[in-house]
Amino acid sequence: MSIRRYLVLILISVITLVIFIATIEGYKASMVKAGHLFDMQLSSFADTLINLEPQKNNITVSNKDTLAFQLWRNKQLVSKSSNAPNQAISVFKEGFSEQNFNAKRWRVFSLQKNNTWIIVAQLLKPRFELAEKVILSAVTPIILTIPLLSLIISLIISYGLKPLQQLKTQLTQKGINDLSTINVVQAGTELQPIIDTLNRVLSQLDSAYEREKRFASDAAHELRTPLSVLKINAHNLQYEIGNDNLLLNNLITSVERMAHIVEQILKLNQTNPEQFSQQMQKMSLTPIVQQVIAQLYPEISMRKQTIEFIDGHIEIYGNEFCIVTLVQNLIANASKYTPIGGRILVSTKQYQQEFILQIEDSGPGIVESEINKVFDRFYRIGGDCNNSSVVGCGLGLAIVKHIVILHQAKIRLLRSTRLHGLKVTISFPCSLTHHHKEQNNNDKEVKAIHE
Amino acid sequence: MRILLVEDDLPLAQGLQISLRHQDFAVDHVKNGKDALNTLAFADHDMVILDLGLPDMDGLSVLKAVRKNKSAIPIIILTARDSIEDKVQGLDIGADDYLVKPFNIDELTARLRVIERRLGTANSSIIAIDDVVIDTLAHKVIVNKQVLNLAKKEYMVLKLLMENAGRIQSREQIESHLYEWGEEVSSNAIEVHISNIRKKLPEKFIKTIRGVGYTVES
Repeated sequence: MSIRRYLVLILISVITLVIFIATIEGYKASMVKAGHLFDMQLSSFADTLINLEPQKNNITVSNKDTLAFQLWRNKQLVSKSSNAPNQAISVFKEGFSEQNFNAKRWRVFSLQKNNTWIIVAQLLKPRFELAEKVILSAVTPIILTIPLLSLIISLIISYGLKPLQQLKTQLTQKGINDLSTINVVQAGTELQPIIDTLNRVLSQLDSAYEREKRFASDAAHELRTPLSVLKINAHNLQYEIGNDNLLLNNLITSVERMAHIVEQILKLNQTNPEQFSQQMQKMSLTPIVQQVIAQLYPEISMRKQTIEFIDGHIEIYGNEFCIVTLVQNLIANASKYTPIGGRILVSTKQYQQEFILQIEDSGPGIVESEINKVFDRFYRIGGDCNNSSVVGCGLGLAIVKHIVILHQAKIRLLRSTRLHGLKVTISFPCSLTHHHKEQNNNDKEVKAIHE
Repeated sequence: MRILLVEDDLPLAQGLQISLRHQDFAVDHVKNGKDALNTLAFADHDMVILDLGLPDMDGLSVLKAVRKNKSAIPIIILTARDSIEDKVQGLDIGADDYLVKPFNIDELTARLRVIERRLGTANSSIIAIDDVVIDTLAHKVIVNKQVLNLAKKEYMVLKLLMENAGRIQSREQIESHLYEWGEEVSSNAIEVHISNIRKKLPEKFIKTIRGVGYTVES
């Protein structure tokens, strides 16, 4: 429940309740006051009558018959108002009482002087009416102001909660990766500590996040130089003692593998959708695929494989580093898992509302039970890193998955009808509106379907 | 060929010196940018291998300073940074080539050889692959001990492919090598040259990588 609505409702209810109680109490007090007033009037009426001692019977009284009296002497009715009964209205006892006659309720006052009794009566109804009038005229303006009061209260509360509203707006408008501090004008002593703490946490998070990002590039720099030293010195050793030394060859293979893993981990980090912040732009896939094939060609030609590129001249919206990495990993995989002398076919085309990049090979393909696992980090087909005959670290497709998510694309692993091996299809949407928020949803769209 | 190696990491520099000497290159080594600029001012080096992460100044500043002196000395950049922006920046400022650590020494020497041949400083001007021999000094192609008559552009295509043996040359790369800027090139000019050369060479000497370009296997 909103604090503002809660405060407005509670305040208005409490005020209404208090006014109601005050009205009841006021009514009671007015009744008492009115009673006193009328009683005084009644007793002075009795005084007047007892001194006048009227002899005439059935005197008509004005005041709309709200007054009546009886004058008794030696228990004999001497005089009475026309509206008074013939029997004594009350017992002969001095003071006030309440009696019924003429089917109405009366306030009665009895007064004795020597052997004369005067009994005066007044209708009770006017008292109530007066009390009601008094209390109504007192309460009406208050009741009428309740709507106005509610309006003022809700305005004041809205104004008072304005800093909170500002905080809410700023927080909801923040992007997922926006760790800038929050600034609320006139936050007040209640909210300021919260904002201060929040800002402190945000800036700590921001610097931790920056450190995390820098760590990858620092690690890259720090690891790449010693790796170069290892490679070059191993190479020099091989030159000096010949290339048939088993120990040295094991060393060289391990250094190569380590260099490969380090590169892949760095790329995995750089393409992590949660940390990715680089720019997307329109680019042609043609030069990218050509460059990657040219770059990987020494490996491919060493394995006596043939590679072809059927260019559909498509342009996609993406990040160059990511797309180059994607194409590199997919073609390198195709070459690695295809036997010597095999074929690799890369093709691009537009199909309906999608731009499609396909990499097919004449290798063994992926069996159905493996399909969903190949996107996991460090998963290697046919066992872990140690006993697989293919050099790799199992990060290639995890990186591909990252890049696919970043580009809101889809990846499918199918059986190639042309080359009978694996066919990897990446489909990029033709119209890409780039929203970071949608990236998480797209995680589900990484599908692996097997024909 | 005399190379100036600018690298602050001593083990790497030593390893590189040894490797390059094995390949008959003469290598001088300096550890920072200031020494590099001073050395280049008086010594007569044919090319520079420049590390970008130097202790005293950024490698790119060294590159800028060298190019500012109108020096066209070939410079290969070595770096641990692999972002595309870094590469483009380095090449824009005037680097001739770019290698990301950890690189293969074979890759480095292959690129040095290309530059060497371009400069004409190679000890040997002869590249021999299978039965095809090209003498880049005498501008001659010999197949099975027979001198081949090639048109100028055909010779340039073959030379480019043989100098870069094992690597794919795209049609665009070959075009930019053969023709000057703004020169009219028909869309199938390269295909025509290649097919003319092929008629005179052993079968399958020049391989077509469909959709990418051409290559001569090393």
